[in-house]
Amino acid sequence: MKERFAIIALTFAALLGAPLWRGHASDDFSAVVKVIEQFYHVKHQNLPLLARAGIKVTKTAARIRGGEARRLAEAGSARVAFFEDQEFNSRGRIAGFKAQINGTLVGWSPLIQTLAARDEEQTYIYVRDAGEKFHVLVITIERHEATVVQATVAPGVLAALMKDPNEMGRALTSDATINDN
Amino acid sequence: MKTLFQATLKIASVLMLLVAGAAVTAKAQSAKLQLDQLDYLANKASETVDVKLDERMMQTTAKFLSSSDPDDAEIKELIKGVKGIYVKSFTFEKEGEYSHAEVESIMSQLRSSAWNKIIGVTSKKEGENVDVYLMTVGDQIGGLAVLSVEPKELTVVNIVGPINLEKLSKLEGQFGVPVLNLPPAKPKESK
Repeated sequence: MKERFAIIALTFAALLGAPLWRGHASDDFSAVVKVIEQFYHVKHQNLPLLARAGIKVTKTAARIRGGEARRLAEAGSARVAFFEDQEFNSRGRIAGFKAQINGTLVGWSPLIQTLAARDEEQTYIYVRDAGEKFHVLVITIERHEATVVQATVAPGVLAALMKDPNEMGRALTSDATINDN
Repeated sequence: MKTLFQATLKIASVLMLLVAGAAVTAKAQSAKLQLDQLDYLANKASETVDVKLDERMMQTTAKFLSSSDPDDAEIKELIKGVKGIYVKSFTFEKEGEYSHAEVESIMSQLRSSAWNKIIGVTSKKEGENVDVYLMTVGDQIGGLAVLSVEPKELTVVNIVGPINLEKLSKLEGQFGVPVLNLPPAKPKESK
């Protein structure tokens, strides 16, 4: 009886817990995109097909290390959301937007955040453990466009990111959004 | 009976060490300044930089920096024991965009007995003030804080862990630490 109860309990926990766990892993990206949409009243475009086809998945480390081709992210692990030709205007509440993003990404370490209220330019870089690797989430916003990139990076790349977070964050976004096929 | 006494003594010693360790940790932790109250200045600033590298991130970085690469090896040594790097910098288009209250919110934390001002640079002409504070825990350095107050700029750099001015100057331009151009430290000054 006890065994049966344990099996039922475990099955119930697995059924209940699995989607929650999976949801948590993937939802932060979506949640951030939603915060941007709601705060700025804009709409994003996903790039799933491009990502699967091998959207340029980074050679930033190669630049840093002086030429050796090395990938920042595993193919297919990068997620990108684009906002193009839209108006980003926080109307003097850019700090409130920053607070909302920070509140959404609980469990992530915010490495660097740069904001220029007048031009609406913002960069946010967050990092989170992913077993042997790390998830990096980069948000870049300008007056008329924005990009959200989530990629899985090797620890060595994280170290490079830490040394120069701003530059590496820019490179990550650029590499994840330019198709070099 | 003797064995029981010895065991009790051992446990008491371990407990005392743990308590002492916790006290040192608590003191070391207090080298981290509370800076979030400045965040709303981003609404007025033409440029804001906010860097938060916590202990876990610092350790991860140190772990994966290559010991065979001379540059990496130097940085690895530099950040050894560093428990966090926190930077907040606000640049404004015109003067008077931040008040004395914001500066005071930092200064009040640096007035605690653990912090000692080691450098103070004042330029009356430019209206600039740069102060460097060091926190000592026993005979060890628990952290460092740089407060740079200019008419159109407010910058706070807070490094938690064993750090000195030489290390700080080497960290400038890396890990989000701005270039501070600090003069060399004078012998210990009063606060």
